[in-house]
Amino acid sequence: MWYNKGVDLLTVSVTARESAGEPYTLVEITGEADVTNTDELRRLLDEEVAQQPRTLIIDLSGLRFMDSSALHALLRVNRSLDRQGGVLALVSPQPAVAKILRLTTADRLIPVFDSVSAAAAG
Amino acid sequence: MTWDGKTARREPAEHDALTRQPVPRPDGDGPVPRPPSPDPDDPMSYDYTTDLAAIRAVVHRYALQAGLTEARAIDLTLAVSEVAANTVKHAKSPGSLNIWYDAKEIVCQVHDEGVITDPLAGRREPSLDAGGGHGLWIVNQVCDQVEIESDETGTTIRLHMNLPLRGVGQ
Repeated sequence: MWYNKGVDLLTVSVTARESAGEPYTLVEITGEADVTNTDELRRLLDEEVAQQPRTLIIDLSGLRFMDSSALHALLRVNRSLDRQGGVLALVSPQPAVAKILRLTTADRLIPVFDSVSAAAAG
Repeated sequence: MTWDGKTARREPAEHDALTRQPVPRPDGDGPVPRPPSPDPDDPMSYDYTTDLAAIRAVVHRYALQAGLTEARAIDLTLAVSEVAANTVKHAKSPGSLNIWYDAKEIVCQVHDEGVITDPLAGRREPSLDAGGGHGLWIVNQVCDQVEIESDETGTTIRLHMNLPLRGVGQ
């Protein structure tokens, strides 16, 4: 799945979906996430939340940039999962993404891990 | 991180209210250079609509060229992107970005036709549950100085970031 709006490019890929044989749902977000593509990001993440995973891991290693709009999309996922008894984990943010997570203290609300395996281990 | 000092350093009379041109600063550093005229051929001046990735690339490049560290260049890029995002969300008109720097600081000026009515916009930390409102707050956290002028004709936001001292001991 990919979405291209203006010159900005955001790709959201679901590489694993929690099931009998899969212990978690893994979503990779790559490109740059900002206000111009937050609606698409929110919609795609909502689809995964609606599957009611117990563990949703978002791999941010390919995300070069995230603004506060996109951050709020992640915070919304975190709140929804929390209500459903699920857990959100973020993996490998690049420096610009790590900065906004730290500035807003979102990284104290949502656990951040160095690798998918570390996130899966909780 | 706190930047309590910056509020005190805001100078209400730093620019002429009518012409919006910088006036000489009281610290004796001389006038702030005038922003370049909005000429599409001028690399320091950009008009934008929703092409925020392009804006970020420009800011990052100038920030490094001016002498900011990579971490501070990232901060400035984030700040400008948040301001430009407000244009996309609220202004319903194109915005313009001007960048200039001297030996001491880099300044990014964003202008659009949106109106900010809250005099404390970006000065209070929003709740993470608020669903929004972090843009200008982030801008205030990362920049060394933020000037906001807004009236019914539009908004001009000037983001200042100090450059590291160079040539110390020479």
